[in-house]
Amino acid sequence: MSPPDLAPTEPILAARGITKRFPGVLALDHVDLEIQAGEIHAVLGQNGAGKTTLMNILFGLLQPDEGALYLREQRIRFRSPHDALARGIGMVHQTRRLVSAHTVLENIALGHPRTRGFLNLRSTRLEVEALGNRYGFTVPLGARVWQLSEGERQWVEILKALYRGAEILILDEPTAALTPPEVKTLLAGLQTLVRDHGVTVLLVTHKLPIVMAVSHRVTVLRSGRVVARLRTADAAEESLVQHMIGRDIAFRTMNRSAEMGRPLLQVEQLSAFNDKGLLALRGVSFSLREGEVLGVAGVTGNGQEELAQVLAGLRPAASGRVRLDGRDVTRLSPLQRWRMGVGYIPAERIEVASIATFSLVENTALNYHFDPAFIRRGLLDNAGLEQLTQRIVTTYNVKAPSQYARAQHLSGGNLQKLILGRVLSRNPRLLIAHLPTQGLDVEAAAFVRATLVEATAEGAAVLLISEDLDEILSLSDWVAPIYEGRFGAIIPRAEAGAETVGAMMAGVGMKEAGVR
Amino acid sequence: MRLGRYELTLEPRPARPAIFTALTAVVAILLALALSSFLFLSSDAPLIDAYRAMFSYAFFNPHGVLATVHRSIYLLFCTYAFLVPLRAGLWNIGLPGQVYAGGLAAFAVPFVLRTHNPQTLALPPGLLIVLMIAAAAAAGAATGGFAGLLRAKLQVNEILVTMMLNSILFWLVAYMIKEGGPFMSATGEGESFGLPSSLHAPLLLGVPVTAVLALCVAVLLDLLFAKTALGYRIRAFGENPAAARYGGIIPVALSLLVFLLGGAFAALAGYHYFAAVPGVYKIPGNYGYYGDLGFYGIIAALIARGSSLGAVPIVVLFAGLSVGARFAQGELRLPFGVDYALLGLLMMTFVASHVLYHFRFGWRRIPSEALQPVPTELPRG
Repeated sequence: MSPPDLAPTEPILAARGITKRFPGVLALDHVDLEIQAGEIHAVLGQNGAGKTTLMNILFGLLQPDEGALYLREQRIRFRSPHDALARGIGMVHQTRRLVSAHTVLENIALGHPRTRGFLNLRSTRLEVEALGNRYGFTVPLGARVWQLSEGERQWVEILKALYRGAEILILDEPTAALTPPEVKTLLAGLQTLVRDHGVTVLLVTHKLPIVMAVSHRVTVLRSGRVVARLRTADAAEESLVQHMIGRDIAFRTMNRSAEMGRPLLQVEQLSAFNDKGLLALRGVSFSLREGEVLGVAGVTGNGQEELAQVLAGLRPAASGRVRLDGRDVTRLSPLQRWRMGVGYIPAERIEVASIATFSLVENTALNYHFDPAFIRRGLLDNAGLEQLTQRIVTTYNVKAPSQYARAQHLSGGNLQKLILGRVLSRNPRLLIAHLPTQGLDVEAAAFVRATLVEATAEGAAVLLISEDLDEILSLSDWVAPIYEGRFGAIIPRAEAGAETVGAMMAGVGMKEAGVR
Repeated sequence: MRLGRYELTLEPRPARPAIFTALTAVVAILLALALSSFLFLSSDAPLIDAYRAMFSYAFFNPHGVLATVHRSIYLLFCTYAFLVPLRAGLWNIGLPGQVYAGGLAAFAVPFVLRTHNPQTLALPPGLLIVLMIAAAAAAGAATGGFAGLLRAKLQVNEILVTMMLNSILFWLVAYMIKEGGPFMSATGEGESFGLPSSLHAPLLLGVPVTAVLALCVAVLLDLLFAKTALGYRIRAFGENPAAARYGGIIPVALSLLVFLLGGAFAALAGYHYFAAVPGVYKIPGNYGYYGDLGFYGIIAALIARGSSLGAVPIVVLFAGLSVGARFAQGELRLPFGVDYALLGLLMMTFVASHVLYHFRFGWRRIPSEALQPVPTELPRG
């Protein structure tokens, strides 16, 4: 396809000098974004770069602290998505927002200004059919949403936005939940919309191959700032990767003794399905010695969660084998693995690793309620648990009003320190740490990292799963970039360059079905 | 909700003093009684007499007190039957079915051992009574466990399964005791054979031993949840199943266990009413009434917020008011069904008081700058 004329014209939608602060975080720092009519404009960046915040501002879900939006060079202010929709901006969110028990038609009619009060599904059907014919795609209007594939649901959302008169479509990570053939269909469909019908598409993604395949221009965000603004045709993949991950990575290599112990964990061709039944982990193999850290670097949603859960025993392996100390543990329960010394720090510290309504002591018990040292004739040894909690609170510097405060009253950092302390107090031989510093402030993150290093000094093997390349490179002995459920390579730290690893995280140099 | 320049909101209450908890309960009871006045209006008797008749029979008349006690024991077991799975986040709506299962199993013991005829007692009566209780508990556990297993293994909704089991067991009882059924009484009046007097549950101070059992369980269940590893696991699973799984708890085993326990408790309620209450000692033709009454165990467990000891006064109140209202209905020619209506009202005021217990109404003026009219015209672009 040939990109439209990209001579600087009046942008259809522009954001100028947008700044947005959240408590303790500068999410967007004077961001400028200009979108020309009739182009596919990609916004590229890693998780946490500020992409979603920016899109939410464009769609009226958030208000900028500074800066303004311009539609056809007219200054506009969106109080809510209603205002954005009224001016022809539609958004398809990363997670589907459809009523799964309703038909496609009912979902499309839902929330349309004209359907307040009485619903005239017959006229809506005629209009939507006409719209579908015009844009050249068909969605079964009578089907219930739960019967559709993820790809079809996405089209329902797109059709819904178009029915509401959207001329500018914002798609947030549209390929996240799609299979490769669905990705192909989506991208082809978007190209048709733009080429033949003058729709403008704003595509938010961290997947470089998709940017290269369909976009006309690309804006790269990093840490809330625009770091590059390019025509895709002029952009080299390598330079985009550099923009995305930054060239100024400071190596704060932790000082660790590099004596490697006995082999502890062997993983062979491990595969697993995600909750949607798609193969999310596709044949991963590695081995880990005592005292070693393997850093799995990747953007969330590339099979890391499944890897961690399979190793912890919380998700069955679809195929492959896990050996601990030479013993096949592939089919053992989480409890059996805890007893063998597998410690797990899940990424979801609120949803999985703690119980919000339980006190600190009760949360500590989550990893000890089966430990004979804390049970006397079926009774939990509350005094012992209190002592242990006190020790964790002191050692790991957990700030809490009291041991009997509920976990929901702790800040994220303090909760994470409690979880870390609780798991490490069991002296695990293998520690699976998934996003252990996500959302923590600098000080808490540094503490968590130092603690992980300490654990390796005592002989624990650590599987560190992180999105933070900096963190991975500074802590790991081996670095494994993961993309779409596969390791790109397993590279010794000394040879792992930020660019190589970052490129592999973004899918460069890896086979990807459907796009290329 | 917005009313003119003011805004009405429900806000969570920050702190709840203990006295407040008791006070909301008292207010709820008084409100229910006040509302029930409307039910008594059709009667010729003055209102105050209706209330006096109700309370004096339920709590002061010797016959009435006994009836209240028997009904309390029954409701307590039903409460535990709902409460244990509830603490694990699961809903046992199968109380009537499990009650029937318990009753049938208890009567199956003398039937199978051919000892329902007093002359042919093969085993010592004490042992037989223990066997009857054990059989009842086992049958209830099996009925409950069936739902628990389906829930745990196949994610079949436990509410649907237990509801359907209620129906199945209701008709199973009918088959067993109605015309030609194996348990039919000699007189063929649509009820089961009566237990021989040697198999009547022993009385302590005129009250069946099941009372002791019910009160012991009230203490033990609260201890179970507060102190034991098992209770901790049940609570953890109820509060956050994902975290419980992460912590090594096996969901299948836990769901099954709480339903086994719950079913056993409901079955003890069945044993109590059909084999331990003086003057009954048989499965009566109107057994369905007792099954339906079991649902009040659900309400009691919910109002007591999962505390077995906390449920005791609530259950006694429910039992007393239903017994007293039924008496007052006959005495003062009140409309049919006032007892159920009163329990229903009580339930509603308790549930409403729950909302006020957790939340309070916020009433504040909206600042004038927030009331700017929203522009309806789009600028031409």
